[in-house]
Formats: sequence, C-alpha cells, structure tokens
Amino acid sequence: MAMKNKITFGSFEASCITITLITTQLFLNLPRAMMEVAWTAAWLLTAYVSVIALLLFFIIDRLYRPFEGKDLLDLGEHIGGNIGRIIVGIIVLLFLIYITPVILREFSENMKIIALTRSPLSFVLLFFLTGMIIASYAGLESIVRLSAIIVPIIAVGYLMIITGSLRYIDFSRITPWLGSGPYEIFVKGAPRISVFAGIILVYFLYPFIRTKKNFTTVGYASVVFSGLFFFIGVLIFSLIFQYPTGTESFLPIYELARLVEYGRFFQRLESMFVIIWVASALLHLSILLFLIAYVFKKTFKLKYYKPLIIPFSIIIFSLAIFSHNLLSAIELEKHFRTFAWMVTFLLPIVLLIIARFVKQPAKKEGES
Amino acid sequence: MNKKIVFLILVILSSALLTSCFDSKEIDEKAYIIALGLDKGKNNYLNMTLQLALPNKITSGEGESTSTTTVETPTLYAGLNMINTYISKEVDFTHCKVVVFSKELAQEGIHDYIHAMIRGREFRGSMFVAVSTGTAEEFIENATPILEMNPAKSYEMNFRSYEYTGFTGDTTLTNFYMLAECSCRQAFATLVGVNPYEDSDEFDPKNSTFREKGHDRPLEGDFYAGKIPKVYGTKSEVMGIAAFDGGRMVGEFDGQEALFHQMLYGTYQSSYISIPDPKNPDAFVILNVNQGRKPTHHVEMINDAPINSAKVQLEADILSIQSGFNYENTDNIQILENAAEEHIKKGMLRFLNKTRPMHADLCGFGRDLKMKYLLWEEWEKVHWLKKYAESKFNVDVEVKIRRPGLMVRSAPAKGSEGDVMK
Repeated sequence: MAMKNKITFGSFEASCITITLITTQLFLNLPRAMMEVAWTAAWLLTAYVSVIALLLFFIIDRLYRPFEGKDLLDLGEHIGGNIGRIIVGIIVLLFLIYITPVILREFSENMKIIALTRSPLSFVLLFFLTGMIIASYAGLESIVRLSAIIVPIIAVGYLMIITGSLRYIDFSRITPWLGSGPYEIFVKGAPRISVFAGIILVYFLYPFIRTKKNFTTVGYASVVFSGLFFFIGVLIFSLIFQYPTGTESFLPIYELARLVEYGRFFQRLESMFVIIWVASALLHLSILLFLIAYVFKKTFKLKYYKPLIIPFSIIIFSLAIFSHNLLSAIELEKHFRTFAWMVTFLLPIVLLIIARFVKQPAKKEGES
Repeated sequence: MNKKIVFLILVILSSALLTSCFDSKEIDEKAYIIALGLDKGKNNYLNMTLQLALPNKITSGEGESTSTTTVETPTLYAGLNMINTYISKEVDFTHCKVVVFSKELAQEGIHDYIHAMIRGREFRGSMFVAVSTGTAEEFIENATPILEMNPAKSYEMNFRSYEYTGFTGDTTLTNFYMLAECSCRQAFATLVGVNPYEDSDEFDPKNSTFREKGHDRPLEGDFYAGKIPKVYGTKSEVMGIAAFDGGRMVGEFDGQEALFHQMLYGTYQSSYISIPDPKNPDAFVILNVNQGRKPTHHVEMINDAPINSAKVQLEADILSIQSGFNYENTDNIQILENAAEEHIKKGMLRFLNKTRPMHADLCGFGRDLKMKYLLWEEWEKVHWLKKYAESKFNVDVEVKIRRPGLMVRSAPAKGSEGDVMK
C-alpha cells in the first residue's frame, strides 16, 4: 500500500466526501422514493432509516476497535488470506460497478431533461466521464480536498433552495400522519437504510485517516449530517408536494428550486440548482470511479491503479448506455436501494465478527 | 520545450471551448410567448392562441408590443410545431405568464393540459391559470397593455391584483395543479373576460349579481369578468374565480365571492370594502380591510355529514363615512364593527352554500378533517369531496376597526340649508 504512507487527510475532508457520496441521491429521486413507500409519512421513514443507520454504524464502530487502520479488504485478508481478500474485493467491486453506471446514466439523462436538452446522451455521458477520469488520475487526495471546498458550497445552495421554498409549506400535507401504515414504514421500509450505501467509503478511507478516533468522527458525522440533509429535504418536499402529487415529481429538489420566487426580481433559482447539482454529481461519480480502480488494485495486489482508470471508464460508459431508457436505469437503482444495505452494513458486521475469532497467522520473516 | 507545447495545446483547446456551443440559441433567436389560450376547435380538438412578445417594440416603446396567432390543432405541442412553421423564430414558453382556457373547454376538463404543462420544463409554475367567460382567443386578442409596455409584466401585475382587490385569487399553475390533485380541497382559476361596453351610456345593471344577493345596488365586487361597467383602452378584465371539481369546471363566482373565498382560505391581504351604513341604508361606509390572523377551520362529522366552522379575524381602517355619523366615537365604533361583521358573514355563508352542490371545497375545510386521521386508507374512505355536498356551515367573523384614517370625526358642511353631508 504505497499510497497509505503518503496520503493522509483530516476527518473534515473525509466527512465531506462521504456526505457527498451518500446525499447526492437527494438531487436525484430520494424524496419521491421515500414518498412511494410511506406516502404522507415519508419524513417519518427517513428519520427511521437514519436512526437505524446510526445504530448500525455504532455497532460497526464498536466492532472495528481492534482493527485500527484496516479497510474491508484487509479484514477479508485477515480472515481468509488472499482468497478472503479477493472474495470481499469482488463483492465490493460488483456493488460499485452496478451502481456507478446507473448513477452516471441518471445524472446524464436528468441533465438532458433540465439543461442540455438538445445534446446527445453520449456527449453528456462523456462530459461527466471526462471529469471522472481527470479526477481519478489526480487521485484520492485531490478529490477529497476538492470536496472539502465544494461540499460547503453545495450545502449552502441546498439550504437556500429549502429556505426559499418554505413559504409554500402546509402541514396538512403530511397528514394522515402514518401514511401507508406502520407495517409499510417500519417493516417494509427498513431496507431503505440502503440510502446510506455511500457509507461504504468510510471503510476504505480508514487507512488514509489512520486513527480510530478519526474513523469514528468521520462515520458519525457522515451518517448524522446525511441523515439531517435527507430529513430536511424529504420533510420540506412532503410539506410542499402532497401525496400522491409528490410521487409524480421526477426531480423533487429541482421542483422545489423552480418554486423559489421573491417578487418579480428574485426568480429562476433552478439555475443555481444546476451548478450545485453538477458539482455534487461530478464529485460523487469521481470518487466512485477512483474507488473501483483502487479496490481492484488492492484486491489483486497490483502495483498501480491509474492504468485501470480508462478500462473501467469504458466499462462504465458501456454499462451506462446499456439501459433502454432512463426509467430502466431508475428501476435498477430501486433494486440497488433495496439490497445495498447488505454490502454496506451486513458485510462489515459479519467480517468484523468473524475477524474477532480469527487469529492473525504469524508473519514470516521478510513479509511486509 | 515540452511545457511550451502543453501550454500551446491548452490555449488552442480553451479558445475552442470559449466560443460556446455550436448549437447555442441566442435570446433574439426565440419567439417568447407571454399568453397561451386554449379553446375547443371546430374541426379538431383545440384552437390554440399564442400571444408573442415583440421585444423590439417593447424597447422602442412604439407600436403594439405583442402579436397574436391562432391555430387549430389536435394537441398543445402539435400546435407549437405548426406555429413554428410560419413564424421566423422558435417558440419558447419560458416567459409565458398566463394560460387561458375557454369556459367550454374547462367544463369538459383540463387536467390533461395541466399535466402537459407541468411535465414540460419550459412552462413555469408561477404562470397563472385562467378561465375565460367567452373564448380564450377573444380574451388574448383584447389583452393589450396600456400602462406598461412590457406585456409580460402587465399580465403579471394584473393577475396579482388580487393582493390589493381580493377579487380573484392566487391561481398560479403550481397552486392549481396541487389543489386539483388534493383529496381535501378543490382547485380554482381566475375568471377573465372581455368587456362589451363602448360607452358609459350602455352600462346595464342586469350584468351585475347584486339582485340575487339581495343588495339594493351593485357593490364593487358584484360582477363577473366581462361584465364590469367600465370603459377603458383595454377590453380584457379579470374578476371572480372559476371553481373546479377535479379537472372540470363546475361553477363561477363573482368578485365579491372571490374576496370572501380569500378571507376564508387565508390568502386575503387587503382591499377596500363598502359596507351599507347601519344608520343610513342609502349610504356606505368604506373600510380598508386586512386579514388580522389566518382563518381557522374546524370540521365535525355528525351523522356522517360535515359541520364546517370557520373563524375569520379581520382588521379595518375607516376610509369614508358617507352619512357623516360619528362612528369614530368609541361608543359608536361597535355599531360599525357589528354591521361589517354581519355584512361579511352573510356574504360568506352565501358563498359557502353556493360551493356545496358543486362539491367544491375551495376553502380547504377538508384539511382540518384530514389532520385527524392516522392512515391514508382511512382518510380515503371518508370520500371528503363527495361528502362536502352535505355540509353545513358556521362562520364567525370578527372585525376590529383599528384606525379612523386621518380624521377623528366627521363634521358636516355648512350651507344655507344648515348642516349637510352632501
């Protein structure tokens, strides 16, 4: 791990990039997806899954204590040697390679709908892909440090949209209070903790942020702030777009931005949305591409990750245009959001529990 | 050397990028629509009328600032294609301020058109939805701005006049769309029309609604759009609201009823209201009324029929006392407050009873009931909009007169016949 010794960054930077990876769904379809499950109680479902995610991270954090500085691949190796590492690596790779093209396709298609209406899809895909490739070549440190600058700007823009649309809220819109019912919310809605799938990044940032204290800080900050952003977004959206009207909305936060208007002068705030939206999409997709190349390199103990960037970009581009249309891509994301919790929360818990019972074999002399 | 080559390549690439997109559209390459009118077609589904802004005329201030065209078309977007064939610029709806439906079309249902607009990114939620008492084409052709060269601003200000008249309402596209899909209230649109009068001698009291309301003479709000006794440079006018049941227009309300609707709905801001003088029925007291607090609603289901109660709190300033009676006196002010309360309450009950057979819960009583339910399925079983027709209403109006204007008492004029107020 040549990189491990060279690159380190603080918990603020690591939190920023993790929050980006988790919360970008807000700009896609999260408020609508929550409303589709819980109807008028979408805000309640969001609060519920955020609390579950926090509890699960609490468990993971406790279990991680003896394994300071180790990522999921190191844990796999600790348990099952090379085979263990490769199995874990392949699971994570499949997870990342499934979602990256879907997100790339969704962002590009949405961009075509709201801004670049006449540009060919392949051009918009390449527009994002170029940014992803450049960022991945620049490396983790560049992406993470850039996120520390951009994420606060995105957060301010997001809060401006939210506060600007506050005058349209009506509390009767989130009634009946329990919407689709307790069973739908608390039982069927539980797999929606997959909205925190981006927390997987924290496990791979561990070698870079080094200390257990930093890991805990980054993990909790990411879950708490992401949960808060989710909750605010879903609550405000539900207070403005009642059920079932909200389930018709394709890009919920964009719709909120279109509502913002103060007098005849302050209008058309959605242009600001496009800026923060593209910035967060580029960061999100860049870190995903980097992660794919990095996990592949580490899984198969390769020396460099950079030569993998272009091949993986081509694979991602090909998979992105594989879906017949945007609705198929959204359908693929729905499946992901149902099962992603298994890789994000279940896999680390299982690995950490098993790792506690596995004794590290004594290293042979000269082995690094 | 390598650095110089890289620098040169970057400069060349940047210069190519800085020229902007090859397929970009300049502002002056688009035809901006400011009003869209939809009527039933004779030979096809729709007659679509577009009012286009003429930017060069707006800036120069000379000549008409708009141009109007009408096509017969099967659908809204097909009509756009047709229009794009004969106007030199591409039609753009991003500055469209109003969509007008003819009454005939609105009575058949317009939810599909509303959906088409919500789905299209060019249409903005802030544009107004209106129903024309005549044809939409006629309204748009007659909507020529007089005081404002910018037609878009003119529409915007005209349709926002409800903020200081109370005679229409907030009928933006987003508002209309949300209300139309709500299970606890119904949508409404601004009522617009074309005035028939060429001369003030032609004014006809039959065009007022005052008799059916029991008024002695027409009050300022006792008119539907297109019936206001006025002569002015522009024939178009906005007055009253059209009520919808789902996406279908089911009734219309005049200006005064629209004002009471706003008071009960909670969007009322302020306006002048004429109250028959309690001491002299031939005279009026004019009040500048504003909403003191948001109205509160309460719904109770008794024998499966709703009892809807509303409390409306208003504040007022005295603007004119025609009789000269000293209502400014703290002993007499109560008489005026009671008279105002009675006048407004009577009008509100009349308005609410009119909404009942239309199943048009325009004031949102259903919101209060909905908040009492825990599960959506339970709420749906209530069938509120159906039950609304069995409603009974109680209205409690409170008017507090806060200020007497710039006069604290009304002194009569001194003449040969003694003290007079005329």
